[in-house]
Amino acid sequence: MPEAAALELDEVEVRYGSVSAVRNLSLRVGKAEIVGLIGPNGAGKSTTLHAVMGLLPAHRGEIRLHGQPLRRRSAESIARAGIALVPEGRRIFGDFTVEENLRLGLAARRKGYMGDPLAPAFELFPVLREFRRRPAGALSGGQQQQLAIGRALVSRPDILLLDEPSLGLAPLAVDGIFKAFTEIREVGTTILLVEQRAQRTVALASRTHVLVGGELRMTLGPADAEDTEKIIAAYLAS
Amino acid sequence: MRLPFDALTELLGPALLVILVGALATTASASNEGYFLNALVSVSVVVAIYVFVGISGVLSFGQISFVAVGAFAAGVMSVPVESKKGVLTSIFPFLRDHSVGNVPSLLLAAALGGAFAFLVGMPLMRLSGLAAGIATFAVLEITHNVLREWDKIGPGATTLALVPETTGALQATLGALVAIVVAFLYQRSRRGRLLRASREDPAVARSVGVNIHLERLLAFTLSGALAGFAGGLYVHLLGSITTEQVYLELTFLTLAMLVIGGLTSLWGAVIGALAVSGLDSFLSRAEQSGVHVVYTFNLWEGTRLVFLAAIMALVLIVRPSGLTGGREFRLRRIPWRGRWAGASPKPPG
Amino acid sequence: MSVLASIDLNTLGDAFGLGAIYALMAVGIGLVFGVLRLVNFAYGQLIMAGAYTLAYTTSWPVTASIVACFAVVVALSLAMDRLVFRPLRSSSPAVMLVTTFAVSFLLQAVALIIDLRDGTLGEVASAVAPLNQAITVGGVDIRKVTFVAVGVALGALVALALVLARTTIGLHTRAAASDFRTARLLGVRANRVIGFAVVVSGLLAGAVAVLLTVQNPFVQPAFALEDTIVVLVGVVVGGIDRLWTATLGGFAIGFVSVLVNAALPTDQTIFLPSVVYALVIVVLLLRPAGLFAWGRRAAMERV
Ligand SMILES: Nc1ncnc2c1ncn2[C@@H]1O[C@H](COP(=O)(O)OP(=O)(O)OP(=O)(O)O)[C@@H](O)[C@H]1O
Ligand SMILES: [Mg+2]
Repeated sequence: MPEAAALELDEVEVRYGSVSAVRNLSLRVGKAEIVGLIGPNGAGKSTTLHAVMGLLPAHRGEIRLHGQPLRRRSAESIARAGIALVPEGRRIFGDFTVEENLRLGLAARRKGYMGDPLAPAFELFPVLREFRRRPAGALSGGQQQQLAIGRALVSRPDILLLDEPSLGLAPLAVDGIFKAFTEIREVGTTILLVEQRAQRTVALASRTHVLVGGELRMTLGPADAEDTEKIIAAYLAS
Repeated sequence: MRLPFDALTELLGPALLVILVGALATTASASNEGYFLNALVSVSVVVAIYVFVGISGVLSFGQISFVAVGAFAAGVMSVPVESKKGVLTSIFPFLRDHSVGNVPSLLLAAALGGAFAFLVGMPLMRLSGLAAGIATFAVLEITHNVLREWDKIGPGATTLALVPETTGALQATLGALVAIVVAFLYQRSRRGRLLRASREDPAVARSVGVNIHLERLLAFTLSGALAGFAGGLYVHLLGSITTEQVYLELTFLTLAMLVIGGLTSLWGAVIGALAVSGLDSFLSRAEQSGVHVVYTFNLWEGTRLVFLAAIMALVLIVRPSGLTGGREFRLRRIPWRGRWAGASPKPPG
Repeated sequence: MSVLASIDLNTLGDAFGLGAIYALMAVGIGLVFGVLRLVNFAYGQLIMAGAYTLAYTTSWPVTASIVACFAVVVALSLAMDRLVFRPLRSSSPAVMLVTTFAVSFLLQAVALIIDLRDGTLGEVASAVAPLNQAITVGGVDIRKVTFVAVGVALGALVALALVLARTTIGLHTRAAASDFRTARLLGVRANRVIGFAVVVSGLLAGAVAVLLTVQNPFVQPAFALEDTIVVLVGVVVGGIDRLWTATLGGFAIGFVSVLVNAALPTDQTIFLPSVVYALVIVVLLLRPAGLFAWGRRAAMERV
């Protein structure tokens, strides 16, 4: 019997009222793997992550963490079960200091960790240590994204869900966070990465699923990263 | 205005219900009649509140100010001149020396309520949210304070008595019908629909050129006029009134009626007013002498308010969108076959 | 100005005293609003329940009586959360508010029944009354309770500010008040945060019950009802979106009421409410998001 995937979606449908935003979506993310999820605006990417996180109920199908169904669990309990979401738009607390924002991430940390609890964030993004007393709202966009990722990491999640982390960042900052993803995977954390930067995502991830209109359109491998036409075709064909 | 069949049922549902209650009032014993009349006047008040709060979505704790103004205007102006000299000694001579009949007093109440609401609304309708709630509440406090302390315009802190009790079954029913028809015509009108649309999305409404301030002011004024009118009906029902009767308790009770019925529909306003009044009457009777319906309900003395408040809280907790779900009255074709065949109308899920 | 001449040290003391009590109530209301977005109209009935507890335990040692008061108020506050607030969490603000009206009436009706068992309306809470005596400061008589009220308010506010700033539960509560959805996403436990807010708000109501019964030992079902309404007004006028603006609003409305009352010519004090509420309207029109809410205007479209 194969080992249970870290995260598994099985024929999931998610609805807003009577409109279904995601249909029949199945995907697996193995341990310490990066899996990409790309697609045009409104494809249902955020909706998928919200369903995993328990912010939206799955109307049909099942979502499993290490083989255990997550049905009907609240976002806070899913967070404490080891899934962390870096939401679209970062959602940092601008009036709080950087350190306070990071300490909020500890709310979901499970027992049994020693040492500086904020170390996972500070090691990956030293600038956060430097600015830890500043109000988070005063950071640059790239630094705020680092803070949002750092805040998720201090909870020591098994699975990190990222919703368009590169949105609105300068090219250099984008390089920075993509590099960080590799480092995060290296310590054994599983990543489901939702992105608009299709090419970079395809190159980074072991598999990248293309979601269009709420349905899985195609799956790309790293080898397809140079094949711009294939990626564009996946987006456009309807 | 075109009125399709659905629109007519939206009016006929509440109207027929009110007529039914009016008819019951005429057949009830003298001691029970008051309960029915009270329920009908409550309908007028709650419908008046609905016209502003329900349609605009802006919370107001101030509508009872207009009921108070209407009640005291109609009351003071319809006490016969010869009695006034004795009971309202400090009042302005002009008010003391004139009186009007029943219908003119109701029209006066409506006009004053509307005018007052218009004046107050001009500055206040710029507000929304809690700020609007508190500002309108401030209006209620000021109105109450002035009516209570300024004995040149009314009885002050004393009871205004000797008001002709002209609100019988006919007047209470007609009054409630007038309120319902006015509310219906307004909510079906272009302006009413614009305001309701602005409730759903103020930004979009503004962007397509709706002047929200103006539309709200209009609804507020109309609501004020209906509230003043209802106040007139109320004072002619009671025969005597104090400022405390048109103050906090009435504000909370009528708002609760509206929310319990379903804040966003005329049907909800009517159902809420009748249901809560009905419950209150039932509990009063049960407290006094026991009510026999299959089983004899007997309440321990003093527990009426406990039950009333508890049931209201319970309804709101169990059905937060109100008894009607905030929807208008509709005649639907009932899916008999589906029901009897046991087939669920929803796809399995 | 001749009006100001009538404001002496004594009046100022009263103004600070009432302002302090109202500030405590404002914190109690503001904390719960922060995490639940619920305006608890029934807050005054928590205080009323505390006051009745003080009245019914008058024969006990003062400390025991005060402890009983706190216990009853906190228990009632928790019960209110469990039975009413929790089922209402996803309801609209209007429904929440109206439900708390009903709860307020319910508690008053229950109090009336309990109160009337002895055939008279109202009970007297006299154990804490000695605090009402005056002490002389620089030739002016100021009631002890004024100092106690100001002291308790300052102490409670400083303690709360420290807890909110320094502790984990404080951090979580602030996060929940600013963005509950994101806070939960991060694993902040909603029930724990709400429980904390409800308990602290209950403790504050208990303190207010003690302070108010010192000033007015005659307890009846409408005890603290009017004060609550005034504080709610003050809280919104100050800016309900933030705890400290709400608190300042509560303080300000208590403080200003006493001063306006003293400044009005004696035969005009009957119009005190009109003057105060006219001020309220003016302030709301000028600063709808709150008098003390600098630069945060858009946040009010909530109810
Ligand atoms: N709260 C909501 N209520 C109703 N429909 C919604 C809601 N949120 C999203 N939708 C709809 O669901 C669909 C999927 O939205 P979603 O936010 O998941 O897209 P996305 O792939 O994340 O897009 P983007 O790249 O723009 O973030 C869209 O059609 C959107 O309009
Ligand atoms: Mg998205």
